[in-house]
This record gives sequence, C-alpha cells and structure tokens, in this order.
Amino acid sequence: MWLVLCSASDASGVWACEGLRQLGVGPIELVLSEHLAFGCRWEHRLEGSSTQFRVTLPDGRVLCTSRIRGAINRLLSPAPGIEQQAAISDREYAQAELQAFYLSWLQGLPGVVINRPGSMGLCGPWFHISEWVCRASRAGLKAPAYRQTANGTTERGYASLAPEGAATTNVIAFRGEIYGGRVAEPVVRACARLAQEARTELLGIELFAGENGEWMFASATPCPSLAIGGMPLLHSLARALTQGASS
Amino acid sequence: MILVCGIPSETPLRMVTSNLERMGAQFALLNQRASPRCQLWFEVNDGEISGELQIAERTYPLQEFTAVYPRLMDDRFLPELSDELPDSPLRQHCRSFHDTLMRWMEIAPALVINRCAPMASNSSKPYQAQLIRAQGFRVPETLITNEPELVREFRAKHGRVIYKSISAVRSIVQELNDEDERRLERIRWCPVQFQAFVEGTNLRVHTVGGEAFATAVRSEATDYRYAARQAGEPAELREVTLSSELSEKCVRLSQALGLEFAGIDLKVTPEDEVYCFEVNPCPAFSYYEANTGQPISAAVARRLASASARAAAA
Repeated sequence: MWLVLCSASDASGVWACEGLRQLGVGPIELVLSEHLAFGCRWEHRLEGSSTQFRVTLPDGRVLCTSRIRGAINRLLSPAPGIEQQAAISDREYAQAELQAFYLSWLQGLPGVVINRPGSMGLCGPWFHISEWVCRASRAGLKAPAYRQTANGTTERGYASLAPEGAATTNVIAFRGEIYGGRVAEPVVRACARLAQEARTELLGIELFAGENGEWMFASATPCPSLAIGGMPLLHSLARALTQGASS
Repeated sequence: MILVCGIPSETPLRMVTSNLERMGAQFALLNQRASPRCQLWFEVNDGEISGELQIAERTYPLQEFTAVYPRLMDDRFLPELSDELPDSPLRQHCRSFHDTLMRWMEIAPALVINRCAPMASNSSKPYQAQLIRAQGFRVPETLITNEPELVREFRAKHGRVIYKSISAVRSIVQELNDEDERRLERIRWCPVQFQAFVEGTNLRVHTVGGEAFATAVRSEATDYRYAARQAGEPAELREVTLSSELSEKCVRLSQALGLEFAGIDLKVTPEDEVYCFEVNPCPAFSYYEANTGQPISAAVARRLASASARAAAA
C-alpha cells in the first residue's frame, strides 16, 4: 500500500493521488490530515531496531508499517483543531506533543517517502527565507539581497522575494531532474543543486525575472503544487514509489 | 572575536565567560536583559553575510564574530518587559531583535554552539531516538499510543514502565503505577509516550567538539533531576572514565546530530548494555561541573576560542 498524506485543501495532493492511481500505483490511499484528527487509534513503537506504526482511522481503514510501501508526504502539521480538545492552559503543550508525535511516526514510515520529515518540518525543511537565500547562492542561483533589522519592518519570514509585478516561474526539483517552468540549463543545474543542498528530495522553487532578464531565486518550499510538474513529474513519482529506490 | 549571548548571571553562561576571561579570549557579551536597548541588522548579498550589532555605545561588525555561544531565555519573559502590554513597541522591538539574532546565527559563517536547526531534533524524543539508534545505541522499548489497553499490555510485559513527554517540553519522568492505570482513559484524546524502565547506572556524557566528559549519577529516583522530591535525597554525582569506544561513539553521535556541544543521557545496565535516552542540545552542564569539578565550561570556552584563533590565523 502507498499513501498520499495531505490536507483536504491540498488540491494538488488529491490530484497526485488520483493520477498515481491511474498510472497503476496501487493500492494507494489518500489520507487527509482531517482523517487523522479525531477518533483515531494510534500505536507507534520503537522495539530493538524496528519502528512500527499502526493507526486505525475513524472510517475503519488501518494503516500499518507492515503494509506500507511508501508515501507522498505533504503533511504540514498535525490535524487541525485537535489541540482544542485540551484545556486552554494545556493547549500549547498538546500542540508540541502532537507535533513531536507526528514527526516520529512519519520518520518511521517504511519504503520511499517523498519527502521524509525532519526537525525543520513534517514534509521537509521549512527554512526561513534568509537561509534559502544563502543556500540558493551556494547552489549557484542568483538571489536578491536580503536584509533584516531589529527595527522589524523588513522581516520577510517565508514570503517570496519576487518584486511585485515581476514575471515568475515555478519549477520542481526531484531527484536531480527539473519539472515545470522552462529555464536555461545552468539554472536547471543550480535548482537541482539547491534541492540537494537542502537535502530535500522534492523541492518547489520559485524564480523571478531580474532586471536583465535572468532568473533569480524568489522562494522555495518542500510542499509545492505538484501540478506544476504535470504528468512528467507524476510519472517520475510513480517510478520512484514503485521501484523502491531508497529515499 | 567571540559573541556570548544570554543572562550574564546564569550559571552556565557565567562559567563560560569566566573561562574566556581567564584565557584572555576576546569576547563580547550580549546581556539579553539589555536587548531592549540593542540594535541589530544583517544582510545577505551574493552569498556574503554582513551586518552590525550595537550593544550600548559599541557597534560590532557581525563579520568579526567567528564563534557564538547563545544561551537565550524566552524574550517574552524578560523582567524588563514584565510591565509592557503584549503589543507594546518595546516588546515588538525585543521580539524582532531576537528573531534577527536567531536568523543571523543560523546562517553566520561562524562556529555556533549550537544552531537552532540541529537542536530541533530534540523537539521530538522518539524522532531523536530513531536518529540515536542509527548511530548504534540501544534505545528503550517505547510505546506511544492513545489506547489504554495497549498500555496495560505493555506494562504487563515489562513490569516497570515510565511515562514522559514526547516533545521537548520539560516533564518529570514518572513510573506508571496502579493509580495512573486507573486514569488511562484520559490518554484517548492525545497519544502519550511510555517506555520500558531500564535498570542500571545513569550516565550523563557532555561532548564538546571532540572531547567527552562522563558523570555517573547514583539515585533511587525515576528522574534524578528531581531526586530530592522523588527519593528523599539528592543524587550523587561522580566523574567516570568511559571506554575509548563509548567515548568516541558519543562524540560521533553529537556530530551526526550536528551538535558542537551536547549532553547525552545514557544508562548502563548490569549486563553492560548501553541505552541512550536523549541528547540534550542545550545542556545545563553547571550542575555536573559543580558536583564533580569536571572542566566542561573550560572545554566550551576552549572550543569557542580555538574557532576564533583559527579564523584570525586565516
């Protein structure tokens, strides 16, 4: 069994699940974060050298380590609203506990997992834009200057650095190949290096056209719209999942 | 130049700065309590990182800092802000200052003990346990569940079982008893972590760069940090020498987690099996140093100074 883990509002996750099913990846289960919210029976064990995970969903489906062969992981956070069950004074704690729990069971998923979780995010690293700019430069992408001050007016968080009105294009780097927007070969190679440098198997990269027309780094995400990569990406994902190369 | 950040009177920070002073190392002390009056900016341009930190009347170019030792408390709870409204300009400045400082530390081409990203593995104990296990350590048998029946079976299998937080939020490790078992229905809304109790001697190993300092802890308490409360008497700490194999394994584990400085919690069973419970990325080492005289703070200071010296030589 393969899983596609995403939220109900993640249209491209739902699209990818259906597309992969049509490409013969099966059985494949769409597991929405909302499905994981209430009424689930969780069992996650570390025993000797093995990690086991079993969840019984409210609709009766059972997901367990021994049957899972891989996953497309696009979970951003634990099921929304579940911490609201806690007393107000305990909510922050409950949120931290759930986040920690999700990180562990996702880490224990067997097979090919795209993307594996990490301490910087459940579906890959969510670096601050200042860190992405550094990494993009190291990978060989042109990037606009980034400035942050304690006066607080210039903090960009995770927002795109593309100036308003600039032409943009989006690509997806997956296992050394680039899908989506058409960009010159050196930019393709730099985008692939950026994903490698961020140790992220599947990375969405937004580029914008600079003043002299060359593509510059605007933002990156481990959870891009998969539709950007279209059918070529879907075929590659299907191959990666079914051929079982390590992730 | 070394940058040290935190509350100067906090014991671990004070121990490190005392050592830096003794060594004659050049360092700047950013007193977090003065942060409402500090300024900071940084810029990334073509991959080069520059900026300035202003402490009182002095302005330091950020490029001068080749080593950083942050021990920062949550800025929301600084005493200087206690009378401030939640969205007051001073609070906003402090939040923004700390955010800017943290962002710079994450990308600065300096030795940072430790950066936030590698520290984050400790935000989930069972996640970190999987990384620890990959480095060849045993980890206790663990069950995380919201099913009371599974917990009862787990306890029946292991006899002694403890429970503790899954996240980095500090919790007192407790042994599961009959009374706890009667209220297990309460776990249904949020999974809870249970572990088989491991008999043996507690060891705390601090690793700094390539050095390891091991402390054996004797206590009847389930959580020796709270020994006086749980067992009626404080824990006894003594310096021990690890085998070179175990010492190197601890250093390798810290390196694998990306940590320059770590506090590794081990337990050695009567059968000489070594279990690792967790790796603390911001260890409050002063408790161990004060009880054993181990020169942990000196090692931290040396590590900071050596990075600084290397940069100066280059």
